[in-house]
Amino acid sequence: MRIISVLYLAFGLSVSFAQNKQILYGFEEVPQSLMLNPGGKVPQKSHFGIPFLSQIHINGGASGVSTFDIFGKSSVDINTRIRNKIFEMTEKDFFTVTQQLEILNFGWRSFKDIYFSGGIYQELDVISYFPRDLAILAWEGNRDYLGYEFDLGQVSATGDLMAVYHFGANKKIDKKWTVGARGKIYSSMISFKSTKNKGTFVTRLGDVDSPNTYEHIVTDIDISVQTSGIASLEDTSVGKVLGRALFGGNLGLGIDFGATYEINDRWTASGSVLDVGVIFHTKDVEQYRATGDYTLNGIELIFPPLSAGESTIPYYDNLEDEIEREIPVDTITSGYTQLRPVKVNAGVKYSFGKFVGGEECDCYNKGLERVQSVGLQYYSIIRPKGPQMAATLFYYHKLFQFLSAKATYTLDPYSYYNVGLGIATDLGKMNFYVAFDNVLYYGNIAKAKSVSLQLGFNFVVDQE
Amino acid sequence: MLEYYVIYQNLSLMKKNLLMPTVGLLAVLLLFSCIKDTNFDEAQNIALTPVVELDLIYFNVDASEFFDSINNISILTLRDTTEIRFLDDTDFQESLIRAEFQFNFTNSIPREFMVDFQFLSEENEETYVIGTIVNQGTVQVPVFTQFIKKVEGEEILQLTQANKVVVSITIPSSDASLRGILNLQSKTTYYLEIKDRG
Repeated sequence: MRIISVLYLAFGLSVSFAQNKQILYGFEEVPQSLMLNPGGKVPQKSHFGIPFLSQIHINGGASGVSTFDIFGKSSVDINTRIRNKIFEMTEKDFFTVTQQLEILNFGWRSFKDIYFSGGIYQELDVISYFPRDLAILAWEGNRDYLGYEFDLGQVSATGDLMAVYHFGANKKIDKKWTVGARGKIYSSMISFKSTKNKGTFVTRLGDVDSPNTYEHIVTDIDISVQTSGIASLEDTSVGKVLGRALFGGNLGLGIDFGATYEINDRWTASGSVLDVGVIFHTKDVEQYRATGDYTLNGIELIFPPLSAGESTIPYYDNLEDEIEREIPVDTITSGYTQLRPVKVNAGVKYSFGKFVGGEECDCYNKGLERVQSVGLQYYSIIRPKGPQMAATLFYYHKLFQFLSAKATYTLDPYSYYNVGLGIATDLGKMNFYVAFDNVLYYGNIAKAKSVSLQLGFNFVVDQE
Repeated sequence: MLEYYVIYQNLSLMKKNLLMPTVGLLAVLLLFSCIKDTNFDEAQNIALTPVVELDLIYFNVDASEFFDSINNISILTLRDTTEIRFLDDTDFQESLIRAEFQFNFTNSIPREFMVDFQFLSEENEETYVIGTIVNQGTVQVPVFTQFIKKVEGEEILQLTQANKVVVSITIPSSDASLRGILNLQSKTTYYLEIKDRG
């Protein structure tokens, strides 16, 4: 069952690209688009997200493999398929799971025409790179890899569960510029991180001076894991973990900022930088670090002369002690500071077609919008092995006063075929939106390497 | 233009009635999205089959160790024991399909040796035993003897009941003038099959 769980985690979670919400970015009918660009344009007078339902975001993906690659019906043996995938993938491939749940989200326009917004959301974000060499070692063993240096530094993973409290302001400062910023307080519930590891493992045939057949050599190993909120987990109730969400966890600070520039009535450029921040892990911290070099040659017997009843040398214990001495695992309980993964969004949009409402008028001066637009968006997130990027081409159409749709085509590390679709409806004061990508795989999600879904309900009061 | 306006007006009137169709459409979309042509039952057939090469024991025994020069008597058998704790580990017991021992002796002592490997359980009961003869050599021309033992089937069950091995080296005769060294290098190839055994 354990293997199935691991494989399910590794290959099975088929529900875009971690945290890239390319459909919602710039989708002004959705109040949550403000979370992606605090300097976005805000059409409404106020909004109030329905608690726990204003944004549900789930996304999971694997850059190198889909569920279908492994579990698809095939005449090829499943183990052969897994083996082929292990060799096809590289250590730059990764698996991610991101989930966000908005607990509260609200905003209102003040009399000085500043749009204030705030709220609380919970976020789970896990990424693990594919430790290819270790996978080969586990799958094949070392017999066919004598002399090959397995890179133990390929182990790289982070995971965070936190609550985020935020408050921001947005203002159209002149005809062309809308700017905004948001302050965030992070309350980390659980966090782990194992990055920047190094070291190699090799088995090679011993030479004339070697005491035994082989030399199993671990060289220049430096592997560390930082955890917070985990050490006390065994004797902590779920309630206490949840309690950490209420400023009871390890706290951090961050900011988001962004801007929109309306070049003319057809062209608009926008950009945002999110989660420039740090979390200070001071409570319930445990860091483990193993460093050193070691060569294993097996056990040397020395046949000591023994009297009756006398027990021999505890070779195995001595070996274990020697390994622990040469590659000590230090446990450190001092705090550490964790940088949040910074996200950058940018977009350029060309609007065309009739103005909203169908009237031909000098609407630009009235701040009205055209019903259609096309554009390009860029997204990047800083990850342990460098930034991951995605580019999106989009088409937007306000079909009716109450219904808008946006279609996207995204190139990202997962695939070149990611088509996404989002709609937002205003039914009375009720705003509902849903956005999902990899539509082309909708007929069979198993074939998608990633799927992302966002949906939510808000009360929105339009501008008079 | 007018036409568009009329349609638009009508749709505006309808908009409250569109709630259900919209939600309905989404529900249908969600329902019809599916995972097909897959067989998750195959997960139970997933098996890792690593072949692991691992050094076992080694020694260098000098000919003088077979003679007690103080009491002037021969010591015909040398014996030593080491634990191999992973052998009777439950996961290892379940996963080990086959094992292949390779013992390489280099003997420069002019005597033939009998070397036994007796595997004992935690309770010191013998579960498995193998042994071999090592050819005699000379200090000038050491002789190489290789002993390979493949263990599978029932014998694997016996082997994995053990967590230690007693190595006995027996010499037929010895004296104070005996010279040379008996060297052993050994390794084991473990053929594993790691899978979900429910």
